Amino acid sequence: MFEKLEAYLEEISHFLSGREEREEILSEIRGHILEKTEQEFGEATEATLAKVIAAYGPARRVAEKYLDGRPIIAPTFKRFLFRYTALLFAFHFILTVAAVAFKKSFLMFPIVYVPSMGPFEALFYLPTAFLFDLGVVTLVLYLITQSKRDVKLPWPRLSIDLDEVKTSGRTIGRIIGLILMTALTGTALYFYVQYRTIFFVNFDFARHQPIFTPEAGQWYSLILIGLWALGTISLAAKLVTSSPWVDAVEKSLSLVLLGLAFRQPLDTAFAVHLPELPEGLVRIIKLSLTITLLVICIFVAVDLIKALVRIGRRRLAK
Amino acid sequence: MDPEISHFETEMNRGFLQILVLAMLEKDMYGYSMVRTIRELGYEVEENTLYPLLRRLEKNSWVKSKWDVSEDRPRKFYGITDAGRGLRAELLEIWKKQDQILKHILEEKSHV
Repeated sequence: MFEKLEAYLEEISHFLSGREEREEILSEIRGHILEKTEQEFGEATEATLAKVIAAYGPARRVAEKYLDGRPIIAPTFKRFLFRYTALLFAFHFILTVAAVAFKKSFLMFPIVYVPSMGPFEALFYLPTAFLFDLGVVTLVLYLITQSKRDVKLPWPRLSIDLDEVKTSGRTIGRIIGLILMTALTGTALYFYVQYRTIFFVNFDFARHQPIFTPEAGQWYSLILIGLWALGTISLAAKLVTSSPWVDAVEKSLSLVLLGLAFRQPLDTAFAVHLPELPEGLVRIIKLSLTITLLVICIFVAVDLIKALVRIGRRRLAK
Repeated sequence: MDPEISHFETEMNRGFLQILVLAMLEKDMYGYSMVRTIRELGYEVEENTLYPLLRRLEKNSWVKSKWDVSEDRPRKFYGITDAGRGLRAELLEIWKKQDQILKHILEEKSHV
């Protein structure tokens, strides 16, 4: 596979969005360019291909010829319309989940305002948010593409593969992961049933000493067991389906659980007394725990965005 | 080449290329082989114009196509249809008439 050629074909493909015969057109152009390169330069390399591609013409002009010479205007950018909408909606979706979990309003001036709401209200709010996002992106794209016909729109490469390739190595990895996660979740559940917490200072279970107060211990234990259980179910589901919905659901629920963790005040959560530690150090430990939780939230949120974009791209590809 | 002349040449080529392609496709050919044959005859054709033209002709059933996947590289071969032959005959008639008119006018001018 030649990087330059594939990038060139991908660019033409953008401008031919929505045409049934797109793949056939691309195959024909690919065949032509490769054959011409071999005939004229002996072998196809990135350098020789670049020359032939340059002679074939700019991607936009090539695509226009298949559109009976019609100039490419806004409708041809519809792939970007759905991509950008998916991205904006992903942010909207995450903020909505956060608004439900934290019971707080979020404002990202001037585009997004998510009021504090309950889960039931969120079900009504999200479709409206999607239509709003679609409208905003349509308006922006319309203005950009009308003012400058040759505009090249950016798209971040988030290392998102449209089609997840199933390899035996990955399947084995998932099976091992599933076994470990099942064991971990099962063990945690056993400790929770026995002691109402899974966080201990010592490993002497005859005289066990929990880290947190009974209430906070139960709260954090259930959240962590819930997160592990979600991971286990997700791994099991991925053995039978490659649907990106598995990740989307898992990450959404994980975010809700992580959000619930913030609702327990950390100041009164600790049962252990550490008199030998200075006050300042205790504060740093608590702050570090909060930051760690926030970083985990960001990672989960990024994974959720990826899953939502993958869903959007699959729908578009269909 | 002067951009103005280049623009006129493109306009003229559009019609000529259609007749040329319909004339060539009595024998099945694929895109790149057509480009090469045309070039060997001393005429340059924009490659990116040829394929959309073939597609348009095919859409109107003036040419037919089939993919040949017997070799390493799949190739799409085109051939003329009966409807294409009819179109070709009509286009050649028009072209001959245009040629005659031009010759007639140019001859008249040379006599003046």
